[in-house]
Amino acid sequence: MTKAHSNILGGIVCCSLVALPFALQSNKFLAFILGMVLINMIWACGMNVLYGFVGLMPLMYAGIAGIAAYGMIHLTRAEGWSFWVAMPVASLCAAIVGVLLGLPSLRLKGFYFTLCSLVIQTAMTLVFSYFPKYTNGDTGINQISPPTLNGKELNGAMFEVVLVLFALAAVGSVAFIMSRPLGKRFIAVREDEVLAEAVGIDVVRTKVLAFFLVSLYAGVGGCLYAVYVGFVSPRAFDILSSLAIWLIVAFGGRGSIAGPIVGTLVLAPLPYLLQEVPWAKDIILGVLIVGVILWFPGGIYGSLFKGRGVRAAVRKGDADRMVDQRV
Amino acid sequence: MNLDAVPLLTTRSICKSFGGVKALKDVSVEVRRAEVLGIIGPNGSGKTSLVNLMSGHLRPDTGEVQFLGKVTTGLKPHALAERGLTRTYQAVRVFGSLTVDQCLDTASLMRLSHGDRLVDRQEILEWLELDLLKKKVSASLTLFEQRRLELAMRLMLKPKLMLLDEPVGGLSSQEVARMIVVLRQLRSRCGILIIEHTMHVIRELADRVVVLIAGEKVADGAPSAVLQDSRVIDEYLGSAHA
Repeated sequence: MTKAHSNILGGIVCCSLVALPFALQSNKFLAFILGMVLINMIWACGMNVLYGFVGLMPLMYAGIAGIAAYGMIHLTRAEGWSFWVAMPVASLCAAIVGVLLGLPSLRLKGFYFTLCSLVIQTAMTLVFSYFPKYTNGDTGINQISPPTLNGKELNGAMFEVVLVLFALAAVGSVAFIMSRPLGKRFIAVREDEVLAEAVGIDVVRTKVLAFFLVSLYAGVGGCLYAVYVGFVSPRAFDILSSLAIWLIVAFGGRGSIAGPIVGTLVLAPLPYLLQEVPWAKDIILGVLIVGVILWFPGGIYGSLFKGRGVRAAVRKGDADRMVDQRV
Repeated sequence: MNLDAVPLLTTRSICKSFGGVKALKDVSVEVRRAEVLGIIGPNGSGKTSLVNLMSGHLRPDTGEVQFLGKVTTGLKPHALAERGLTRTYQAVRVFGSLTVDQCLDTASLMRLSHGDRLVDRQEILEWLELDLLKKKVSASLTLFEQRRLELAMRLMLKPKLMLLDEPVGGLSSQEVARMIVVLRQLRSRCGILIIEHTMHVIRELADRVVVLIAGEKVADGAPSAVLQDSRVIDEYLGSAHA
């Protein structure tokens, strides 16, 4: 496929995505699922940058989204700000908090950072519950008014169109970042921190930048979630939410642009489609996870379309090396 | 100050302890321009610690490190790489899931200081016989190929001094011979400090040898002289070598 072809194809996909909310207008339920898929896609894009490209698993991801959501709600309700100002400001604040919470990753490698982030997430959920001044505790905040656009409240298909645009921006921005030197630095840090330092990459700076960027995705997703669903409680931003987003990325294929998209399309609608049969949801989810681990360890997209050549080459290399050692 | 007269790298009475273990005691070493300095010593004598202190991976307890006449103690490895000091590691390290070309791209991310000529990547690849492997994933390369890729990645930085920590470790005897040829040619591209404990390689490559034993510098001079030194023979080489 030539570049012109892929541009045309991309254009068609984008246009049909924007048209999709109108097609689903008659079915409120499907339209809502579409909205949730799009919000999850924004989250998954951010998680993929950190988990897929930088190689860290941040389980406090949902907590950061929560900080942005609560911040946005406070700014719009108590201070009377417009959503379109409050969202970026709250997301920026969440990103700064994200950088601070990411600092342990400068010392802790791999699994140990994941454990640390689990503790941070748990603490954040408790803070959301026990300091109700901004969060209204476990009761949650309801009737969050949707943002206004052109003087009218966003609702119906227009809301989903806005979400489509945000999701496209999230995917596009990750693709852009990964095509820049910063993206190569991310991958270098994932592959080998020590070697990255030796070839002149400032690992500390790269990680801090990564946490800042990734927390922005979490924050924007959190704000959109709050106004789209209209209700938030600490449960929306707890460890299970973090794990759900992580699972989407791992399932779809981490470290690729398309992987999280595939993962979101498959996993995000599940809880809603299976609402009537709650027991089936966990079973299907479990079977899917085990299946992916057994047959597609690089994620669905990663294993089926991307990694094949790489793994074959690595296997061949191992064989070569064994021959070498015999010599 | 005439820059050519300044040694590439000096360490001044460096001490480093890990808990109760004194890894380095008052070590002063100088890497001069246009020479290959070899560091030898038995296991645990502090060779790698010394290189870690030079490259910014460790901070000395006392003493200082100077690179190109400026104190660099406490600078991070990436900052030193920007100034032209780079290193390799005892265990081979490549960006495993990237291709050779991508590894070199990543190593070229650092902005070279103004006025430096561009790096001729093709020429370096051909010299290191990696030009046919450009599209191969680096984890799939043989150890010898990975060792050469390590050198190629460092050369993307236009280094002034390269610290090589056992560059022939794990290679077969034919590969060692070929690596020695490569390292001899590397001399024309940058200064070299080389850690080894195979005497053969040091004899072939080094103009000057520093011997570390139990964290102390016990000898410093031309290889032939050092290898005759009675203390070196007694404590390291054993009489069979003499």
